[in-house]
Amino acid sequence: MYDFIRGPLVWVAFLVFIFGTAYQVYRFYQLSRPKERYRLRIPFGKPPKDPDEAPGEPTLTWWQQMRLSVVGVNPVMVSVTTLFHLALVLTPFFVLGHNVLLDLAWQISLPSLPEAVADGLTIVVIAGGVFFLLRRIFLARVRAISTVYDYVVLLIATTPFITGFLAYHHFFDYDTVILLHILAGEIMLMAVPFTKLVHMPYFFINRFVLVHENTLGAGGSRTWR
Amino acid sequence: MSSNDQAPINQDEVRRILDQHKDKTKTALRVCAHCSLCADSCFLYHVHDKDPRYMPSHKFINSLGKLYKKKGKIDRAGFKEIEEIVWRRCVLCTRCYCPLGIDIPEMIAIARDICRSQEVFFQWSELEQPAE
Repeated sequence: MYDFIRGPLVWVAFLVFIFGTAYQVYRFYQLSRPKERYRLRIPFGKPPKDPDEAPGEPTLTWWQQMRLSVVGVNPVMVSVTTLFHLALVLTPFFVLGHNVLLDLAWQISLPSLPEAVADGLTIVVIAGGVFFLLRRIFLARVRAISTVYDYVVLLIATTPFITGFLAYHHFFDYDTVILLHILAGEIMLMAVPFTKLVHMPYFFINRFVLVHENTLGAGGSRTWR
Repeated sequence: MSSNDQAPINQDEVRRILDQHKDKTKTALRVCAHCSLCADSCFLYHVHDKDPRYMPSHKFINSLGKLYKKKGKIDRAGFKEIEEIVWRRCVLCTRCYCPLGIDIPEMIAIARDICRSQEVFFQWSELEQPAE
């Protein structure tokens, strides 16, 4: 069991994660379609430059737009979720322990964060998880659409960090905790394409591929309908 | 409220429409993180004192989501509830915001399609008039 979790299951987890996520992105491209090109052309002359004659140009400053966006409406949630997700995705790459393992296996490694910083980022993830848990329990609108599934997925996403924290600080039996840590990480990776954690690729699809007023980058290239 | 109130639900027809949109429905239901960030983008949510039942995701999950999960096996009473959701609690203004890009109005529109196929639709003429 120990060898299986440390050996083959790691590969299975990474393959399921990579190919499963690629499949979900492929499905998105199948289900959506390219945005239509403008069929209307201005028949002659240049478009008017006077702002009063050119409707559709944004007349709000970036700050006013921000205030009206989800950032201004839900500032606490947006701040917590941004920190939580950044720490969750980035920390594993720069933990010293992970890089030592990579170095031992393939003689390659990424730069490592000081251990105290990595520890702090882990606490950020756990605290974010607690925030989401409390929000799900106490906010009526979140509770209204919550099921057991939501709590299970929250557990799947935070367990690797809870066990990692426990292992680093040598709480409880180290061998057991580190094995649970590896298993939890594998479960999380495999869960990404097949649970609501699929919002990982969909966040980028929404922000950079779908066309809408909040698209970043080149303005998007595809629409659902 | 709607015509043909008592006729049995034609489940084959309901399933046919569900199947037509199966992939999109499944994807939308899976992608929804149940984060509730769509709530504040709905004006009906605001005018109803932030009643969670007016939250876009709640409307989508409890109309098309319910039909999909129960594979269309919903009786007249169930359709009555869905009618309330897709016509009274949503006007398809398409202003809802989903941080993950789910096309909620399309989901509501599909649910309306299914309702119409079962002669379930909102009769505005029967709407109770406010007391003078």
